[in-house]
Amino acid sequence: MEEKYIICEDSIEGIFTAVYDAYALREGHEHIHIQIGEEDNYRLFAVYLHSIADFGKTEKVIRTLRNRLGEEAYLQLCQAAASRDADKGEAVYRTVVDGITVGNGRRTMENLRNPHVAKCFELARRTANETHQEIEFLRFRELEQRILYARIGPQNNVLPFIMPHFADRLSTENFMIHDEGRGLFGVHQAGREWYLVSDMEDFPTESLKWSSDEEKYQELFCLFHRTIGIQERENRDLQRQMFPLRFREYTVEF
Amino acid sequence: MEMRIAPQMSVMEKLKILADAAKYDVSCSSSGSSRKNDGTGIGNTVAAGICHSFAADGRCISLLKILFTNECVYDCRYCINRRSNDVPRASFTPDEVCNLTMEFYRRNYIEGLFLSSGILYSPNYTMELICETLHKLRTVHRFQGYIHVKAIPGADAALIQRAGFLADRMSVNLEMATAEGLKEMAPNKHRKNILKPMRQIQNGIAANQNELALYRHAPHFCEAGQSTQMVIGALPESDYQIMSVAENLYDKFSLKRVYYSAFVNVNEDKELPAAAGGPPLLREHRLYQADWLLRFYDFTVDELLTEERPNFNLAIDPKADWAVRHLELFPVEVNRADYRTLLRIPGVGVKSARRIVAARRFGNLTFDDLKKMGVVLKRALYFIICGGRMMYPTKIDEDYIVRNLIYQNQSGRGEKLPFMADGRVYRQMSLADYGALSG
Repeated sequence: MEEKYIICEDSIEGIFTAVYDAYALREGHEHIHIQIGEEDNYRLFAVYLHSIADFGKTEKVIRTLRNRLGEEAYLQLCQAAASRDADKGEAVYRTVVDGITVGNGRRTMENLRNPHVAKCFELARRTANETHQEIEFLRFRELEQRILYARIGPQNNVLPFIMPHFADRLSTENFMIHDEGRGLFGVHQAGREWYLVSDMEDFPTESLKWSSDEEKYQELFCLFHRTIGIQERENRDLQRQMFPLRFREYTVEF
Repeated sequence: MEMRIAPQMSVMEKLKILADAAKYDVSCSSSGSSRKNDGTGIGNTVAAGICHSFAADGRCISLLKILFTNECVYDCRYCINRRSNDVPRASFTPDEVCNLTMEFYRRNYIEGLFLSSGILYSPNYTMELICETLHKLRTVHRFQGYIHVKAIPGADAALIQRAGFLADRMSVNLEMATAEGLKEMAPNKHRKNILKPMRQIQNGIAANQNELALYRHAPHFCEAGQSTQMVIGALPESDYQIMSVAENLYDKFSLKRVYYSAFVNVNEDKELPAAAGGPPLLREHRLYQADWLLRFYDFTVDELLTEERPNFNLAIDPKADWAVRHLELFPVEVNRADYRTLLRIPGVGVKSARRIVAARRFGNLTFDDLKKMGVVLKRALYFIICGGRMMYPTKIDEDYIVRNLIYQNQSGRGEKLPFMADGRVYRQMSLADYGALSG
């Protein structure tokens, strides 16, 4: 039988829709694969199907995953789907099949002997780690009218995972987190729910107006950062290991 | 006594003096308490804690770590702020502390406030100022982030109680492992004055847990528990003494953390060790490793050290050191050993042990699977069998394993030390040495 490749867009919705479409083919899973973005190398004797991200299909897949695999596994699959890895679609798809068809259910993600599960586990771990790093290293700057603005440049698409943290923590603030690489904005208004915005090409990144106190607090923090280190224990290697260089252009203290 | 606070000093100058004076306090964790925001102000806390930056010494910056004042009536020999030192002095006002905390927190610079203090006039006077600051921060500014506050030894129980209801974590520094050591180093401090608030906080936490069981909305008292710290290497205490004290503090005082602080001779006191190669960082590192073994790996101090062997081997970590002295227990079959046994294998941590236990339900694990789960095979390989086989043919011999572990360390492929290894050469005693000793 010929191999079928389902081509989907690079997003959590895109991948989950493709999983739905794969199931909808009702041909078993052996010869179906999921691939992200455009195929770069057409295979002979393979059929390519295009899948368009669909809200309804995504909802259904999410509901099934939560019921059959549990919240923990569902979160890990979302994190894997947000990874920057090119083969994540296939790994997520195979893991879902493993969980539902084989019936490992809530233990699905524990079966690390399965290479697809191991891959999802690895991707989810990387996304989770980077999520945590952004929560640590992201810095807000205050715009006029006390609005907080932060730029980030993560490797994986971590914005959807960091927004709940800041929305809870800064519930009474108006803030915005800007993923520069993806042109994605997380927006929160005081006392409201947060949401993501993607089409803001005219956002004036270069001409933002900082509040009058902003520079003062940046200076104070730089001073604190310099002062708190113990000279006799200086260890730049350890500092670099804990605070990777790629995060530093977005902070104020380096 | 006259107030020597210059009123015209700017916040910038004060921060420089009072952060500088606070930097020798080790604790900076923001863990142990988990609280959602209630919508009336900013802040929440996360159980695992969050570091926000790392200083030039590689230590994490999680909290705005400052002294309220570096004025002090005490004269402790190891302390930069002792009365007899001629250093610039400053004091914050409660409003300045609140303002700095709020503005830093909003910008995601910090996870909360760590407030310690020198003793201004008297312990009670100082503790009252601290309480006032925290009260303002919690009620006027509605700050719901993390607060770690020092209990000032000698302050009234009522003041410590009050601070406990405002803070997430409290700590009293034990300073020295032994009572005699404390007497020598800090003539104005007494062991019993330190242990008294520690016991009070412990009892307060226990009582609060009973209250919370009855009334879900009862106010929290030191939700994240209490911690303490000891200075290492200023006096000739052995690791065995230090670890025994730590074990006691965990068992008898229910402490969350004990911190160890490599002694830095800031006062250039001639009678104290000057530490030729800088502070004893490797020793401090080994103590922390052993501390983890006590808290998460179910070890006791008597398994790791004895009166005859009172200090850790600096060349290999305490767990590997324990394992090579108990080779009769190894190798362990990873597919069958219970969780507690897995934890004792060098190269296997809490997370990988859990993953092994969960994953082997589905079938036998291979060395490759172990690697993916995070097991450090280059350390574990001497101690495990997997599916009935060892990874490589290897001798189960103490000298042989120690040599290999150390060789890895020296060639930079082994244990990842957080600093350059100090270049000490570790030599296993040979038969010739024994001959020399007996002859």
